[in-house]
Amino acid sequence: MTEPAPRRASLFITCIIDQLYPDVGVSVVRALRRRGVMVDFPAGQTCCGQPLYNAGFTAEAKRLAVRVLDAFDDCERMVVPSGSCGAMIRVFYQDLFADEPELLRRAAALSERVYEFTELLTEVDGAADAAAPSDDAAQSDAGADVAAVAYHPSCHLLREMGVRRGPLDLLEAASGVSVVDLPDAEQCCGFGGAFAVKYPHISEQMLADKVEAILQSGAATVTACDMGCLMHIGGAISRRGLPVRARHIAQVLDDPAG
Amino acid sequence: MSLGIPSADFLASVRDALGREAGPPAAAYQHLLESAGELELQAAEIRRRNAGDLPLLLDKMAGTAALRGWNVQRAGGGEDALDYVVSLARRLGVESAARAESAVFSAVPVDAALAGAGVVCWPAVYDADRERDAVRRRLAESGLGITGADYAIAETGSVIVLPRRGLSRLVSLLPPVHVAIVRAQDVIDTLDDLFVLRRLEYHSDGGDMGSYLNFISGPSRTADIEQTIVVGVHGPREVHLVLLDKE
Amino acid sequence: MAEVTTRDFAAASRAAVQDPQLRRAFGSAGAGFDGARRDAIDEVTPEVWEQWRQQARSIKEHAVGNLDYYLELLERNVAAAGGQVHFAADANQANAIVSEIVRTRGVKVATKSKSMVSEELGLNHVLEGQGVAVFETDLGEYIIQLAEETPSHLVAPALHKTRGEVARLFADKLGVPYSDDIEEMARVARVALRQKFLDADMGISGANFLVAETGTLVIVTNEGNGRLCTSAPRIHVGITGMEKVIPSMQDLAVFLRLLPRSATGQRITSYVSMVTGPKRAADEDGPEEFHLVIVDNGRSRLLRDPALRESLYCIRCGACLNICPVYQRVGGHAYGWVYPGPIGSIVTPELVGVAQAKDLPNASTLCGACREACPVQINIPRMLLHLRHELAESPDSQRRTASDTDALLARGFAAVMSKPLLLKVARRLGRLAVKSVTRDGKIGRSRLPFLSRWTAARDLPAPPARSFSDIWRDELSRGDR
Ligand code: SF4
Repeated sequence: MTEPAPRRASLFITCIIDQLYPDVGVSVVRALRRRGVMVDFPAGQTCCGQPLYNAGFTAEAKRLAVRVLDAFDDCERMVVPSGSCGAMIRVFYQDLFADEPELLRRAAALSERVYEFTELLTEVDGAADAAAPSDDAAQSDAGADVAAVAYHPSCHLLREMGVRRGPLDLLEAASGVSVVDLPDAEQCCGFGGAFAVKYPHISEQMLADKVEAILQSGAATVTACDMGCLMHIGGAISRRGLPVRARHIAQVLDDPAG
Repeated sequence: MSLGIPSADFLASVRDALGREAGPPAAAYQHLLESAGELELQAAEIRRRNAGDLPLLLDKMAGTAALRGWNVQRAGGGEDALDYVVSLARRLGVESAARAESAVFSAVPVDAALAGAGVVCWPAVYDADRERDAVRRRLAESGLGITGADYAIAETGSVIVLPRRGLSRLVSLLPPVHVAIVRAQDVIDTLDDLFVLRRLEYHSDGGDMGSYLNFISGPSRTADIEQTIVVGVHGPREVHLVLLDKE
Repeated sequence: MAEVTTRDFAAASRAAVQDPQLRRAFGSAGAGFDGARRDAIDEVTPEVWEQWRQQARSIKEHAVGNLDYYLELLERNVAAAGGQVHFAADANQANAIVSEIVRTRGVKVATKSKSMVSEELGLNHVLEGQGVAVFETDLGEYIIQLAEETPSHLVAPALHKTRGEVARLFADKLGVPYSDDIEEMARVARVALRQKFLDADMGISGANFLVAETGTLVIVTNEGNGRLCTSAPRIHVGITGMEKVIPSMQDLAVFLRLLPRSATGQRITSYVSMVTGPKRAADEDGPEEFHLVIVDNGRSRLLRDPALRESLYCIRCGACLNICPVYQRVGGHAYGWVYPGPIGSIVTPELVGVAQAKDLPNASTLCGACREACPVQINIPRMLLHLRHELAESPDSQRRTASDTDALLARGFAAVMSKPLLLKVARRLGRLAVKSVTRDGKIGRSRLPFLSRWTAARDLPAPPARSFSDIWRDELSRGDR
């Protein structure tokens, strides 16, 4: 017995994507729609509150978290193109509201329905695979440029949401993509939100090592499920004028050659 | 006489931090409920299991011990064991070997065998004419320390030594080379086995834990300088395990 | 108590990251110790490893959750074995207890095996003040004692030193010819300390575990110095934190599997020494007196806060240090006290006083690698978050970590993000503000406040003309089938 494929998803767009990388959001919508998922974008959403939560400002974080609950309470599935915002909503909302039973109940209910973008794709594709062989993988790579892609597993996706294999499987199955090994892939890139500007000397060292690993991998593109990390990694790549692009996994899957 | 703050006060402050009433835990702890009788049943099961698989168990012991850095010698009987110890003493060129007390030396009489090879093998005990420091000095100057083993653990490749008459703690520690002679019937499989057996002895009538129990699992070593492993820091640099296949 | 320099984290870490030698030394903790740890887990299989972690965690939960009961049981059983337990509320009391033993027994020479708690207490200093010659005997501790430094790692205290530095140190302090051959240096230490072991009146050790059921102190070592310290002198004093007690000897099995594998990847250490009371009448060697000093020194603060209690489950294996990307780059000393790295960032503020260690809970990206590595499943990131929440806007200004500007920014951010209209306006203003520093859609090096710390090493995209919300409204909202 396989679950029927998800047909409907309510999109949460992280503040970084909304403000700085709107194209990522467009790719997310396209990738989902191509798979027959109906996407809506609940009004009134802005930010999950994680930057405030991580910096210790719980009252302010709650203010934003309540808005997210209000916007997504009724949705069937919530899809978030970020492991760290996904973790905030799935895991940390319940800590944030530990002492407020009604909000806690709502947070717990929502946590059951939160999907990080690749989690949802994996589920959709899994259901599709079970029904009929996917024709995505059958598409020929012949003639097309194959992008050498290194995948950086972002920390909260990996360790709070427990997403390890899925994104790599999606990339490996995608046509036009060849996945290359990233040395020390599971090392943090040094972003950590405010950490990057509070302790730039440490953050920059971690970042330099991550960029070095990417160069070693021979990748033309580095991808991840979080624009926070990619803004950080991409910012260094851009500063150093390196021939590598930093792209969200939705962009790579949507258009490998980009 | 207890120094510091009275234990009642200290415990009360801990209790206060925990927000808990005095008394035993709400859920009783399984291992602390086990009686000597229950431990006896578990011990019998351990002995039965280990005896049933003895050849396998001895192979496992030999294998893990080698991984820990023991030089492992399987010996069919006392003769083989003596040959090994004598040739080791010859190879090392030692003049003096110290020996702890152990039942194993009645089956493997190392004193006589080594004496035959011109090596003084002496029991490391205090006696009327030798005061403590002199014995210790002699021990530290001996090239070889020979002990039995109260248990050996196949899981970890460890030899277990318990207090015996004499300087039983130091014989396996001060000389640069240590030989442990292990009887087949003392080999057990796991750490869990060891603790069941020790707890049984402790909880039996008049039982005592003994002042110490030492695990020895290979040579003394350190990696404190640049994570580079070096053997023979404060304890022996070379350790030999003679495993008697038959009683 | 040992000197506290936790206030200097920012400056100390800045100096440390610029020191290539430290980078190499602490980076190698990741490659060396952590690599070995992973191999050891693969050998037993990750499934079995998870079962062990779970089992160890439940034992600690139970033991720490009923700590008073098990301490009492421990005390009774140590006494039954002929030893004495002394309780110390703080560092001064603990030092006074040991001083009193030293004074009444006329101790002149003491040897020590590694004890982080004695580092915490600054015990050596106190004993030396009483005229006792104290010798650290763990090779790493011996090195840093000679160098008059403090440990930089829980397991490998001299990790920060190169072989060349140790060679020079030995030549200077011990008068031996300079040799940077590591085997030779270990031999030098053996020779230098051998006589001290035999001369010492008192041996001081820490404890990895205390077994309540039997009154047993357990130490896990590799060099043999721990065995010597607890066997050769006529007095043995064990000093340890109150959280080390476990209920039954049977519980040791799982901890002896987890601890060495997590620390150095070893399947078991060369030695595990279990001490129960002083020597018995029939023993011919071993100490005549056994004292166990059990120290609180701020631990009850960790115990009291349910969100921080699990920090007391720590078995000081160092795995969270070895894997921590921050520790690997700044090393142990930057943290400013005895316990560095992720677990240090939790316990140090509570033990030395938050006001002195406000940087530490923030000195993490919350990447969670520590939690994944911890053999007792301690959720370090969650505790760091808890501390951040407690401290950011604490009414007590001594404890408060957020500056007025931080607080203003946070409130401003929350206000803007709470009103989509306001966000639109802010976006316009923002685009205007960065216009002068934007080239090809990127913000490069900038001296604007807030931006400069980011743009020193990284570009930032300028906000494009339309946000995602705009694009959705204009185009995507109509696109669904
Ligand atoms: S917190 Fe966990 S990983 Fe870190 S030292 Fe303690 S037991 Fe080891």
